[in-house]
Amino acid sequence: MTLAPRAFLTGLAVLAAALALYPIVGTGYGVRAMLQLFMWIALAGSWNLISGLTGYVSFGHVAFFGAGAYAGAILIAKAGWPWLPAALAGGAAACVLALVIGYPCLRLKGPYFAIAMLGLNEVLRALTSYFEGLTGGGSGLSLPTLHATVPIYYAMALAAAGVTLLTYLIITSRFGLRLMTIREDEVAAEAMGIDTARHKLYAFLLSAAGPGVVGALAARDQGYIEPISVFPLATTITMIVMALFGGKGTVWGPVLGAIVLFVSQEIVWARFPYVHQLLFGAIIAAVVLLMPRGVLGLLQTKYRLPRTL
Amino acid sequence: MAAPVLEVDALSKHFGGVAAVAGVSLRLEPGRIYGLIGPNGSGKTTLFNCITGLERRDAGRVLFNGRRIDGLKPFEVARLGIGRTFQIIRVFPELSALENLLVVTDGPLAAARTRALELLRFVNLEGLKDEYAGNLSYGQQKLVEFVRVLMRDPTLVLLDEPAAGVNRTLLNDLLDAVRRLRDEGKTILLVEHDMKVVMGLCETVFVLDHGEKIAEGPPGLIQADERVIEAYFGR
Repeated sequence: MTLAPRAFLTGLAVLAAALALYPIVGTGYGVRAMLQLFMWIALAGSWNLISGLTGYVSFGHVAFFGAGAYAGAILIAKAGWPWLPAALAGGAAACVLALVIGYPCLRLKGPYFAIAMLGLNEVLRALTSYFEGLTGGGSGLSLPTLHATVPIYYAMALAAAGVTLLTYLIITSRFGLRLMTIREDEVAAEAMGIDTARHKLYAFLLSAAGPGVVGALAARDQGYIEPISVFPLATTITMIVMALFGGKGTVWGPVLGAIVLFVSQEIVWARFPYVHQLLFGAIIAAVVLLMPRGVLGLLQTKYRLPRTL
Repeated sequence: MAAPVLEVDALSKHFGGVAAVAGVSLRLEPGRIYGLIGPNGSGKTTLFNCITGLERRDAGRVLFNGRRIDGLKPFEVARLGIGRTFQIIRVFPELSALENLLVVTDGPLAAARTRALELLRFVNLEGLKDEYAGNLSYGQQKLVEFVRVLMRDPTLVLLDEPAAGVNRTLLNDLLDAVRRLRDEGKTILLVEHDMKVVMGLCETVFVLDHGEKIAEGPPGLIQADERVIEAYFGR
């Protein structure tokens, strides 16, 4: 970005235009695949905001996705809301959840925070199964039929772009640097006068908004949700692996990770349905062992590139 | 006698059955350099932690400029004007030297930048401002940590073993810097094992042993104090 910001911005503009035009020429499968890719970019990028920057590894980030999905789906199915405001409400619901659980959970350090988040997700899944009147319980919740794949494609694209832009703004700000001091040395950060509890909570809220919005959009797109489909641990793990693969703590790392892993997953899954789980596991192991800082993290340490890469 | 900057009054801190700090009282006056010495495990760092809010005291009071600060969170204590360094270096390794300083202050970023560059120049690190702090040498990291404390312009500076692992040339610069701070009216309390440093720099020395203050006075008298010699070398 420092070398040729203009060329970079021009490239981004061309890419945005191409993606905007894609639904006109693309196949149904293509548009749907891109929509999912946008979703993964938003999810991996959001996880990066709390875990990549502050070092607080969230192992239950899909909880915000699920909370957004249920909030959005209930507003659409029971209150007759249009899907766009319902999606924003999904983001708001996820933020409220983050506020309620972040306050106690962000005091926990290291593995304890990770486990608490994992537990939260299980609790939410149990709760949505229990409150049948509102959520349909284990038999799920169906939304009225609506053909809106293309508008949802654009909404997902905006969500992905929004999360990435937010990451850029945070990483280039003093607020972002302070989040990193928590990752680097929380005790020293406190001793330097940084209100770490407040900073962690803000980062947590910001990291919950994106998953909430895309959760509601995914619910609308699929037309049916149930507890197992919106609170799966596998989704959390996938967003973590994407962010780690691309490079946590950077702007473009989660984007790169989402693209590479989603595309390879689609290709491998289509051809070798039984191998793809194995391959995914192998990628996790390889990333952790060979480049714990991800592709961009590796380039960054080697060539001292800016974090905005 | 001037009004004290810091008053520690009968402070105690226990870890399980161990009394790390047992009823210690200190009084620091403005514009002076104080030393805190004692054998390993005598409670020096715990005392620092209790003053700065990293540990909760069990009993006693801490007053900073006449205001009680025991019970405050570490960041609140720092914002009131107490800065500290650590025994083991705690720079932010993956932030540049400049960023290590920038994160500390709240004011406008441009002003913070000017101040940070000024401080880095002060310790001859301006040329390394964009280097990750973790890539600097041990001594350089120590200097970054030292000037990072000064970003908030604290009235009281607590230094935990500033001389450890720092070469002679660098050490002399550091000691000059500490004296200059004193001349600006700041108060300094330092934990140090290097007796030459303590004797050459401090105007008053407190001696801790097993969590208790066993002596207090000018360095010359402390060196000859029987209880101090006994604490260090045994009977």
